[in-house]
Amino acid sequence: MGDTAASKLDHENHLLLDQPLLRLPTELLRKNFRSAHFELEKDATYVKNALKETATSSVNGRTAQADVLRSLDSMIARMRGVKRKLTAFAEEEEKLHRHEQARVGHLGELYAMHTVDDVKYEGWSRVRLDRLLVDYLLRRGYNESARALAREKGIEPLVDLDTFDQMSRIRKSILNRSVAEALAWCAAGDTKKELRKMDSNLEFMLRFQQYIELVRDRATKPEDVLAHARRFLFPYRDTYHREVLQACGMLALPPGLSEEVDSYSDLYSPARWEMLADLFTSTHNALLSLPPVPLLHVALSSGLSALKTPACHSTHPASAAGPPSHSTSLSLASSVCPICSTELNELARGVPYAFHSKSHVEPDLLLLPNGRAYGRARLEEYARKAGLLDGQVKDLRTGEVYSAQRLKKVYIT
Amino acid sequence: MAYLQLQRDLQKLTGSAKLADAVEDVDEIIELLTAARDKIAKAQEAGDTHTMSLTLTKLQNPVKEQLDGLNTNLRHVYKAQNEFNKSLKTAFSKANGSLPTDLDPMASHTALINRAIAMHLLREGQFGVASTFINEAQPQSQTAPTPHTQQSPSILQSHMASSDYPTDTLITDADIPSDLTALQSQALQSSFADMYSILSALKAHNLLPAINWARENCIELEARGSNLEFELCKLQFIWLFKGPTVNGLPDTLDNGVQGALQYARSNFGRFQQRHLREIQQLSGAMVYSQALEYSPYNAIFDISAAFEEVASSFTREFCSLLGLSAESPLYVAATAGALALPQLVKYTSMAKAKGTEWTTAQELAFETPLPRSMLYHSIFVCPVSKEQTTDENPPVILPCGHVLARESLQRLAKGTRYKCPYCPSEGVIRDAKEIIL
Repeated sequence: MGDTAASKLDHENHLLLDQPLLRLPTELLRKNFRSAHFELEKDATYVKNALKETATSSVNGRTAQADVLRSLDSMIARMRGVKRKLTAFAEEEEKLHRHEQARVGHLGELYAMHTVDDVKYEGWSRVRLDRLLVDYLLRRGYNESARALAREKGIEPLVDLDTFDQMSRIRKSILNRSVAEALAWCAAGDTKKELRKMDSNLEFMLRFQQYIELVRDRATKPEDVLAHARRFLFPYRDTYHREVLQACGMLALPPGLSEEVDSYSDLYSPARWEMLADLFTSTHNALLSLPPVPLLHVALSSGLSALKTPACHSTHPASAAGPPSHSTSLSLASSVCPICSTELNELARGVPYAFHSKSHVEPDLLLLPNGRAYGRARLEEYARKAGLLDGQVKDLRTGEVYSAQRLKKVYIT
Repeated sequence: MAYLQLQRDLQKLTGSAKLADAVEDVDEIIELLTAARDKIAKAQEAGDTHTMSLTLTKLQNPVKEQLDGLNTNLRHVYKAQNEFNKSLKTAFSKANGSLPTDLDPMASHTALINRAIAMHLLREGQFGVASTFINEAQPQSQTAPTPHTQQSPSILQSHMASSDYPTDTLITDADIPSDLTALQSQALQSSFADMYSILSALKAHNLLPAINWARENCIELEARGSNLEFELCKLQFIWLFKGPTVNGLPDTLDNGVQGALQYARSNFGRFQQRHLREIQQLSGAMVYSQALEYSPYNAIFDISAAFEEVASSFTREFCSLLGLSAESPLYVAATAGALALPQLVKYTSMAKAKGTEWTTAQELAFETPLPRSMLYHSIFVCPVSKEQTTDENPPVILPCGHVLARESLQRLAKGTRYKCPYCPSEGVIRDAKEIIL
């Protein structure tokens, strides 16, 4: 593992974590465009047809002037509506363009660096961590914290506050046992078509839950229950055979009676709402091609493994790494290992440790009589700092003092 | 290069076709319609029916043209977006594959990750964000079995202990419960607040708060072999020595060469034993106070980088006394993660192609090179078995000075005797001693 090779930046691979950053605005742009197109098409067709009709009928002398004026007014009103909507879409587009510009610029900065030792790299990497943190906070629904962190660091264009805000609002409404907002999301713009394209069962499951609630509520009239089933469930009996059959069976087994039948008591269980919320989240993320797990998780699981050594969780009493106690001295080591540090130690317990094919030890190792070995330079520096007599050395961890004559050279092959 | 192209394409995207253009088209349609309406309305007042059908017929074509123009505009927007998407794809076409999201070993550790984030925010001095976060994340962690009431006495205790014996400020895992509420009330936050106030004083070239801290913790620092206190005092001496023109402090007897001498008299006594040589040098410089740049002491008195240096060694010592690493572990881990990720992606996609499963064995199956600055422990790979040594299989040193893993030695040995694989010497296993690297 040559140092230079390890610290050289391979930009495209280094940005694996950051591709979703550029992708989301383009997904949103596409969605925005589709919705704009959809609205425009609808009203433009109306105006075109209405104009033609009015003209024909007025030429034929069938329409009174007042009616013509009225239909012209409605056309104007339609177009004003289009303008209003389109302006909103244009603003959204503008914002997304700004985001994309900021992001492309941010990633572009990395292309100006060639090694991780570049002075600018640390700053860039810190921004990346902040982005990952905000993404994590948003996905966990800690929107306030996410907003505060993004504001504090000035990285709003680099994170997707609004998208996740909307998502967590809907998610929360599902957890509060309401499907209305989620259904509205499914129906908005061309989401419905997209969902069908990716074979999503989200809408059906939401409708099914609605049905379950109708059956649960004893006050609902049987006709209403049936009407709901006929309208929203039965058309899908081929795709969701099992669920539709269960829906029929439920009519015979109301909540009170279903407790003995496992498959039916599951249907009445409140845990279904959590399942629905998760289903919504995963559908939402897939639709916008967002990674299914927080990127912080990906970065951490790879980073923890790469940093971890067998020493980090050593239980060996004399271990080099063990928890830093007061008598030990690590100050001459460049820093406490991040895996040994309290923040990550427990988290790293489960991950595999890094694979090394070569030893990495201090140069010029000397063995102390107590079985510990240190580099000559460090021993000498520590002896000087500790103000020892010439020809004496002190163990950097245990503080034992030995005569330099008792040191033994160690050969690492 | 592909990225340069992407930047160029982005300019094309944002510069050319926009939905805002379509708004203009709609405006024109509205104008056409309103104009026609006014005309017809006027004609109506005049009782003219002919104008109406004429205007309506005349209106047909311009409106249709505008609507077509609108569609063309939208098509342009669509095309520009598609082109940008294509460019985006090519920009990253050389990357190794996609993110490994099938298996998420972190998914079940939300509480631990939250704790790491809270500590990261505190350590970065983001106290406002940290407390927002702790409040927000709290409801979830309330399910943790440790009730808050049980926690507080121990916090109190550690707090009291810390004021009596500074050695007890070490924050161990037990002190930081996964319950985030406790974090807020904990010593940790005030510790980091202290650290930030001292650091900002250092930035303003005020050394006194740092010196006070170092003096309070001098026993601990000395045990760690740290010279921080002396380094700080030495810098203070030099700072005073430079006089009011450099340090901007009031020109009194406490400043300048006179003040430095005063400072040395009252403070350097304690360092006499350990740092006699340096103190001698500093006092020797007194002689040259008028022409320091021509003296042999010029190098010692060059303090251009000194404040940053003591600030970073102060941060390191401060965090070490808390049992924490000086760099935010979250930052190091995320950076290391990004560096190691290409290997991980390559390996997982290869494993997938071969149909072998990703195993969560103890050790990664592939090398993840990190820069030297990210190696924190000595790593010993046995030259015989090529395995890393562990607790169960520690390194042992032979009397000839060569080091092997214990298992390798046992495999090499015949009975109780072995021959070193690297030199002609022979010996008995008993003489091989465990070594801690």
